[in-house]
Amino acid sequence: MPGRPSRLLTFFFAALILLFTGGPVILSLIGSMVPDRVLFDDGKGLFSEGLNFETYRYIFTGQLPDSYSAENANPAMISDAARQVPRSLLNSSIVALSSMALNILFGAPAAFAFARYFFPGKGLTFMFLILSPLVPSVALVTPVYIMLQSLGLTGTQAGIILVHTAKALPFTILILSVFFRKMPNELFEAAVLDHCSRFQTFFRIALPLSLPSIGATGLFAFMLSYSEYMFSMVLSGDAATRPVSVVMAALARNTDVSWSLLNTAIFIAIVPTLVLVVLVWRFVVEGLLSGAVKG
Amino acid sequence: MWSLKRFPAPWLLPALLPVAVMTIYPVAHALWTSLHSVTLLFPGEPFVGLDNYQRVVTSNYFWDAIRNSLVFTLLAAPSVVVIGTLVALFLQRRFFGSQLVRSVVLLPWVLPGAISAVLWIWVFHPSFGVLNGILRELNLIDGSIPWLTSPRLALVAVVVAHVWTQVPFAVVLIMAALAAINPETLEAAAIDCRSRFKRFRHIVFPEIKAMIVVLTVYNALTAFTSYDLVYAMTGGGPGTATTLLSFQIWRESFSMYDFGAGSAVAFIVVSISAVLIVAITRALPSDLFERE
Repeated sequence: MPGRPSRLLTFFFAALILLFTGGPVILSLIGSMVPDRVLFDDGKGLFSEGLNFETYRYIFTGQLPDSYSAENANPAMISDAARQVPRSLLNSSIVALSSMALNILFGAPAAFAFARYFFPGKGLTFMFLILSPLVPSVALVTPVYIMLQSLGLTGTQAGIILVHTAKALPFTILILSVFFRKMPNELFEAAVLDHCSRFQTFFRIALPLSLPSIGATGLFAFMLSYSEYMFSMVLSGDAATRPVSVVMAALARNTDVSWSLLNTAIFIAIVPTLVLVVLVWRFVVEGLLSGAVKG
Repeated sequence: MWSLKRFPAPWLLPALLPVAVMTIYPVAHALWTSLHSVTLLFPGEPFVGLDNYQRVVTSNYFWDAIRNSLVFTLLAAPSVVVIGTLVALFLQRRFFGSQLVRSVVLLPWVLPGAISAVLWIWVFHPSFGVLNGILRELNLIDGSIPWLTSPRLALVAVVVAHVWTQVPFAVVLIMAALAAINPETLEAAAIDCRSRFKRFRHIVFPEIKAMIVVLTVYNALTAFTSYDLVYAMTGGGPGTATTLLSFQIWRESFSMYDFGAGSAVAFIVVSISAVLIVAITRALPSDLFERE
């Protein structure tokens, strides 16, 4: 049983972790609800004018915040890009979910083969997979664009999905094979005794037992695609196909945009993703803790 | 582990094909570009051999950029793995609010790079920054510390921001690996060995070692080729203090339109990161990388 000092220490570390990971995001939450004129005025307390949700209203309805309709406000402070945020979230989820599904569909069998079997050409293919992500994406943007253009895939989500899937696959396979290696050998020996085919062993035994690990790996593929910027920017077309990373980068680099509008956009962009990620993560942790793979 | 006589193509090809499509032609194209003079200004793309490489290596930015990239990687990648492992070990405990902490830890992960940059500029900003504000309130400093405009501090600041964005993924993977350890092993260890540190070193660490190796490789790569966060925070400055190699590729290719030089830098990055990866897998041998 943890004693008192150890309890205090636990809370101290918990607070430290919360502050480090959540701190900057709390700043953005505050920034989204406090108008710029209060934010940058040293004389005024942060909440002296109360909370303000006008920027949220603008993003969802297009109605300008009252303070900006007033005289001598800089019209550049309101950017149209902020209004693309909800739509771009949808685009990003389509791309990221497809990339995640393809990663698991293609990656899990490959990882299983790598983790459980020796075969001719194993070292070579493994080396290829490990070395392929070495080339920095900046160097590949031009040739990939040329290639996808000849396939007619630029400006479509299919092109982005293909690139993101290929980018994540080497790591998906690496991570999944670590998990498959950890599964007890007896399970697979039993499967051989029961005359399971290789496919049945994978599908009936390995896959169901590693669902939590597959969840964690899928989460990785999802997030890699969701946050990828360079290829998304080059390959996406008009506003209707732009993913969230591109829209947010456009907003963030526009130095005229008002702080509260930018922070509102940030907040709207992260909440749905956070909910999704936390739900999957809960499933992963609980699944693992409930002892699916305990030999 | 069993042996197969033939290459298990149906198992591997679906995964290998997309990776091959996205690697072989683009890499060949980039290699070709690095050996030719490809600029927007002059038509025709004559073969120039290693001229691009020579020009890049002798330029005044290059060695600064290599040094910065290496320092950045050596600071960032181990920090991510160590912090990630510590947080994951800590989050295994159940305490009041542990679910909340487990969720909040994932926050940095769901932010696009450009946004993380904005948030951290806000933390480090010399006059409006929160960090200076807090330090002033506590009377630790009088003026303001120029976090993003002094060369040393700027590099530290971008490393902190980069580590922040990468820690959640490390936590997720290490926690998953920790939870896959057989609980009986842990119970036996708890009885046999009273020292918590020794228990980690001799029982827990060997179990999660493969995952730590994968994470270290992944993080060394991301740090060595990272670009958008640093670019958005400092633009490579002050001077060349935070100019990284990958940023240099971008600058040669898309701002000076010298695609040959850009690709040459890219292949220098490739060879250095290959060395890094071999070094990591040698330093932390793991059965995952066995050859037979």
